[in-house]
Amino acid sequence: MTTPLEAAEPAAVQAAGPGDERPTHRGALRYALSKAGGALFSIAMVLVGTFFVFRLLPGDPVRNLAQGRNMTPTQLDMERRRLGLDKPLLDQFIDFVGDTLRLDLGTSYEYKRPVLDLIGERLGPTLLLAGTGLVIAVSLGIWQGTRAGWRHGSRFDRLSTGASLLLWSVPTFWLGLLLMMVFGVGIGPIPGIFPFRGIESVDAPDGFAYVLDVASHMVLPCLTLVAVVYAQYLLVMRSSLIEEVSQDYVTVARAKGLRDDDVRRRHAVPNALLPTVTLVFMRIGFVVGGAVTVETIYTWPGLGQLFYEAISVPDFTLMQGTFLLITVAVIVMNTLADVVYHLLDPRVRSA
Amino acid sequence: MNPFLAVRLVSTSIHRWMYGYLTVPDSKTLQPSPDLAESWTTSEDGLTWTFKIRAAKWSDGKPVTADDAAWTFNKMMTDEAAKTANGPAVENFESVTASGQDLTIKLKAPQASMLENPVPIMPKHAWESVTDMANYDAEKYPTVSSGPYIAVEHKKDQYVKLQANPNYWRGKPKIDELQVIFYDNPQAAIAGLKKGDIDLLGRMTPQEFEAIQNDPNIEAWNTQGRRAAYLQVNHGATTTDDKAVGDGHPALKDVKVRQALHYAIDKQKLVDEVQNGLAKPADGSIVPPMYKDFFWEATGDTKVTYDPAKANQILDDAGYKKGADGVRTMPDGDRKLEFRFTIHTETPIEDKLAEYLTAFFKEVGITLTTVKLESSKFTEETGVTGNFDIAISGWSVNPDPEEVMATHLCSRRPAPGGEGGGTESFFCDDTFEKLYQDQLKELDRPKRIDLLKQMQERLYTQAPIIAIYYTNDLEGYRKDKVTSITPIPEDKGLLYGGSGYWPFYTVDVKAAAVAGGSTGGGSNTGLIAGIVGAVVVVGAAAFFLTRRRKSTADERE
Repeated sequence: MTTPLEAAEPAAVQAAGPGDERPTHRGALRYALSKAGGALFSIAMVLVGTFFVFRLLPGDPVRNLAQGRNMTPTQLDMERRRLGLDKPLLDQFIDFVGDTLRLDLGTSYEYKRPVLDLIGERLGPTLLLAGTGLVIAVSLGIWQGTRAGWRHGSRFDRLSTGASLLLWSVPTFWLGLLLMMVFGVGIGPIPGIFPFRGIESVDAPDGFAYVLDVASHMVLPCLTLVAVVYAQYLLVMRSSLIEEVSQDYVTVARAKGLRDDDVRRRHAVPNALLPTVTLVFMRIGFVVGGAVTVETIYTWPGLGQLFYEAISVPDFTLMQGTFLLITVAVIVMNTLADVVYHLLDPRVRSA
Repeated sequence: MNPFLAVRLVSTSIHRWMYGYLTVPDSKTLQPSPDLAESWTTSEDGLTWTFKIRAAKWSDGKPVTADDAAWTFNKMMTDEAAKTANGPAVENFESVTASGQDLTIKLKAPQASMLENPVPIMPKHAWESVTDMANYDAEKYPTVSSGPYIAVEHKKDQYVKLQANPNYWRGKPKIDELQVIFYDNPQAAIAGLKKGDIDLLGRMTPQEFEAIQNDPNIEAWNTQGRRAAYLQVNHGATTTDDKAVGDGHPALKDVKVRQALHYAIDKQKLVDEVQNGLAKPADGSIVPPMYKDFFWEATGDTKVTYDPAKANQILDDAGYKKGADGVRTMPDGDRKLEFRFTIHTETPIEDKLAEYLTAFFKEVGITLTTVKLESSKFTEETGVTGNFDIAISGWSVNPDPEEVMATHLCSRRPAPGGEGGGTESFFCDDTFEKLYQDQLKELDRPKRIDLLKQMQERLYTQAPIIAIYYTNDLEGYRKDKVTSITPIPEDKGLLYGGSGYWPFYTVDVKAAAVAGGSTGGGSNTGLIAGIVGAVVVVGAAAFFLTRRRKSTADERE
């Protein structure tokens, strides 16, 4: 079966096609620009917000840096000067904005290294885990949602919707531990097959074997992630398909004597995909934030884990940097989602 | 991994295995014994110490000289950044000079704890080119080391790979490779131990320990620990210029009230029900019983036992009358004895402790309400601003308790501007101060021990802190893999949680059958030790690990 994702794009454009005004390039561009403007404004607000909120947080950054060690007032002053904390707040803010625009997110207190480097190191593992998880969850959700919606009320519908909702409501931590026990450690006759810590073995081999090693480390975290999140794609897909099924054009298509499969695949699904596509785009933003819980259970060296660490220390510059990155990613992706939706769905366009 | 900066317990533990120090705790007695310094002499006035550095070699083959040690100390004395990890250790140093293998340290004032110097000696030839110490992460492998192991690979928060140092002066360790693997999640670490992914796991909570207790392949290692857990009582917090700070309850200034609180606590019950029996009720102060030499235990009339009737009696006699609602009030007004108990967020075991204490204090007409703070706020309120009544606290104690005693000195209180500090209790007591100064000058060990015991007694009777229990050290290792391991101290001591490299130097493992098809080059006599991350995640790794960050400095072992 063709994966729904591949089918989605061309079909969606096609669906928007006959009978509707095609978007003029200029109109689309203007829309995109206005959205981008909005996004820039949001990002600016986030910058301001981040700066001030993180300064409202309890605790003196220098003292946190000292981690409670006995520091002389001279040492404390020196640190303050080094971090620029002796300057007036407004100057600090201007420095902060300038540095951020130059992509200088400061130096982590805990690691004594540039925040951007740390984020860079963690971004790969996060994109790998959360990205793979997202692709699987979306594919599985759309596929199951389509089948369930098309024959809603059927056994398949009841079973898959029930199962996905159950997984959705289970605490991630608990599910992660359960999977770890069953597939990692092994229970009774089931041997533990998958590793459950980190992204690679300590004695990781090279070459293709390394890829396999990483892949095997990904199985359990990915499974946990998918199990917990795929319900939302399933449910959105299912309900929007159910809505489409009752539309006249579906009846017409059926009346024309088209094969049931064709009606579903070429007519109903493309239209029903719209809300799901938006949801997917919005989620991509959050993918950057990683899956804090899953990363923690499996000691996955990703951004979610980094953010959590930053909070526990607390490491203000690191917190600020990761927070900025995650919010900006979410804003950008939401804007993209708007633009894509606009391109795909004529109803939104005319509004 | 830069030893001049490292304060986290994990890195400092690993540094203990990688670098030589002037002295090392003896594996039997825990008393300072020769390490890189093979012998030493002290001048009459106790101000000049001369250490003879042994003819050892760095892992790269160059000789270890007194010059290396002098460079290390001088670096710390002159470079502010290099003070980060162990600054206080050189505060009293006047000058450090080297001549051949002789290292001479001149002090500003006598210092009995000179032999407990916590500074790893670094190779001058490998380090003198480092100019920006504050931002140097020392990620150059293999490291140039003089301890039993050399770090060869490190992935931040993932693992550290160490190899036996062939040039180690005591002789190469029995195992070739030691991998220290970090887990964010204690459950995963336990699962790793059960599955055999790791061979040894340190520092478990009682609940985690129970999970491994009946596993036939695992040796559950339960010994006396180096931690004391206690209540910190705000008996009138002040700054170094004796100005009151904070909003502590005035009743706690009365030593009678503090003593009554002490009588009201059923420590045995706390041990049984909060710590699942895996601790020892505290009849002493901040030094746990595993340090046999320094441990002081209350006896006779001094000893406070669980006795709510006596607690009530003390409070009645002192004029704290019970009101109609059963809650006592201050003798000179109508302020009730309602105290706050400050604990950390996300440490379930402290919640449980709070429940029990609330019930105990209710028995004697005192209301306790719980306040939860996240760790940086906790440190600030209970260590600087003094905005608390009673708070949970605890400390991992080094073989020499001087530093933990020093946290109760007047000078450790916050400065008038709220700076500095490092106080554990805001304690400032003439008797205690005098004893501290005396023990600093006392180079006769038995006499010094006696002074340190008197200090503990003072803390016990004045009760600015009330010790509740000493938590056990809970660890586990694979019986089917580890053939021998010597704890420190050797008689029923600690493994990973111990001070010094002894257990990891002596550990021997069964040569594992190299699995067919896997790369043959790997070591087959390695030990894999799992460590639950120093950053405590969901369900705290070690009982009081999240308490004040300042303990990390003390825990540098």
